[in-house]
Amino acid sequence: MSLKPTIGIETHIELNTNTKMFCRCAVVDTDEPNISLCPTCIGLPGALPVPNKKAIEFITLLALSTGCEITSKGMFHRKNYFYPDLPKNYQISQFDLPVGLNGELEIVIGEDRDFIQIERVHMEEDTGKSSHSGSGRIESATSTALDFNRSGVPLVEIVTKPVISSSKQAVAYIEELRQLSIDLNISEGRLEKGNLRFDANISVAPEDSTELGTKVEIKNMNSLRSLERAIDYEIQRQTKALEDGVEIVQETRHWDENKEVTSTMRSKEGSADYRYFSDPDLPNMFLSDEFIKEVETLMPLLPKAQREELMTTGLSLSQSNILSKSDDWIKKLYVEVFDQTKDSIASYNWITGELQGQMRKANIEVLPEWFNDDYLSEIIELIKSNKISFTSAKIILTEILTTETTPSKVAEQKNLFQENDSEKISEMINQIIKENQDIVDRIKSGEDKLVGFLVGQLMKQSNGSVNPGMAKELLLKELEG
Amino acid sequence: MSNEFNIKNIAKLASINLSEQEQDSLSNDLSIILEHVNALSDLKLNSQQQEIFIHPLEKELELQEDEVVESLTHDEAISNAPESKDGKFVVPPSME
Repeated sequence: MSLKPTIGIETHIELNTNTKMFCRCAVVDTDEPNISLCPTCIGLPGALPVPNKKAIEFITLLALSTGCEITSKGMFHRKNYFYPDLPKNYQISQFDLPVGLNGELEIVIGEDRDFIQIERVHMEEDTGKSSHSGSGRIESATSTALDFNRSGVPLVEIVTKPVISSSKQAVAYIEELRQLSIDLNISEGRLEKGNLRFDANISVAPEDSTELGTKVEIKNMNSLRSLERAIDYEIQRQTKALEDGVEIVQETRHWDENKEVTSTMRSKEGSADYRYFSDPDLPNMFLSDEFIKEVETLMPLLPKAQREELMTTGLSLSQSNILSKSDDWIKKLYVEVFDQTKDSIASYNWITGELQGQMRKANIEVLPEWFNDDYLSEIIELIKSNKISFTSAKIILTEILTTETTPSKVAEQKNLFQENDSEKISEMINQIIKENQDIVDRIKSGEDKLVGFLVGQLMKQSNGSVNPGMAKELLLKELEG
Repeated sequence: MSNEFNIKNIAKLASINLSEQEQDSLSNDLSIILEHVNALSDLKLNSQQQEIFIHPLEKELELQEDEVVESLTHDEAISNAPESKDGKFVVPPSME
């Protein structure tokens, strides 16, 4: 029996507003507990929620950027549950009238693109953070401690349709959504800080079946790596169960990062368990055409359009994708260096390869003030005109990352300009041939590989200043003659 | 909608203690309420009437600016907590 997996992903994005969703407490990033609270976000009786205008702008921006239909007549619902991380005993969320419906997001894997359909984009509030004390295991905790700083922070939930078919697609989707939220400037997009959190609904069914299999929800995936591994594990687990004739139970499973397995957390609540009803504290929300138009003016160049623009410079889809998901300074540097050199591949390779590699090695997080696109452009031009070798170019880059100087100056100081004068090179070659007559004899008797040794000798004697391509060509000519 | 419920479980979830007598009388009241609510399903509604856009308030929602307003201090916020430790509210153990 051939089986196919189907995956849907629910992502929560923490918005980077100054204040919480329904009160005006500051959104804080601190370990100091319970310092940004008011009667509304700790659920004291009589407190009234009022939505944050910025958060509504942000979610509308996100919904528009993913091509969603905007619900102009919307409302907030109460999602009831008994759990102390929200002391009101309900979370303000949206149910059947979310801000956005039926969108899609382009994702890129290698040189292929795909579209992931989005079912809904809705607004809700985050919960407080619980920590469990006792013997260390959650099940045997003796008490639960609560920090409500996060309680009420605006949270957007984006739910895909069950259209994802592999862990690779799931990772590409989250990467795209993360970049989108950064480019829209609605979230820091930092996974390690929990700015983006995701759960996956996974089912497996026979290849030819039109119905989906029983859905299992996986929680606690904190990184892209754990998302990929958890999905792969769960697909394997369900596939094996079905092949062995074991029924899949609808449940929520917990991904264990250390053991790399999923295990049962609880049986899954259905939406009826949450007893959704419209929040009587919050009147209906009307998003006027005027409001939507205003939000549209905030729309930046989206990752998809950035990729298309980058491809017009000659980059492949995968290269454009990598750049579109890089920091702003990298994108900007690429455009500037390309403008000067008109060489997309060299610009791309130097920026994403050598430059970033050297910065990582030397622990340089920010480019020094004096470093600008002229420097990289100059290095690329010097290589293209055979004035310096690739190896010398790397040395020059190292120097200009730490010292305020220019590539030409470094090349001069370190004697890195290549000798392109064929007469001078021929003189040196003759000298090398004289000194290595035995090697020359061996080359003539068929040991071609030793040509490399002679080129090496030449590079060594000239302190690397000889153009290696030219040197090899002249050397071969000399040996044949 | 089912009329069956477990009054003991509801009392537990709501953190209230009910005597046997209270349990009986509340069960009775709740059954009557549920019966009333069930009557809604007998309504014959057209599609427009079924559009779920009813709200007790006719007022339009107002939004507020994203500007911080100081509220409770840490000590004020935590002053009514039956138990606290290291600046956190402490409650009976709960797990997801």
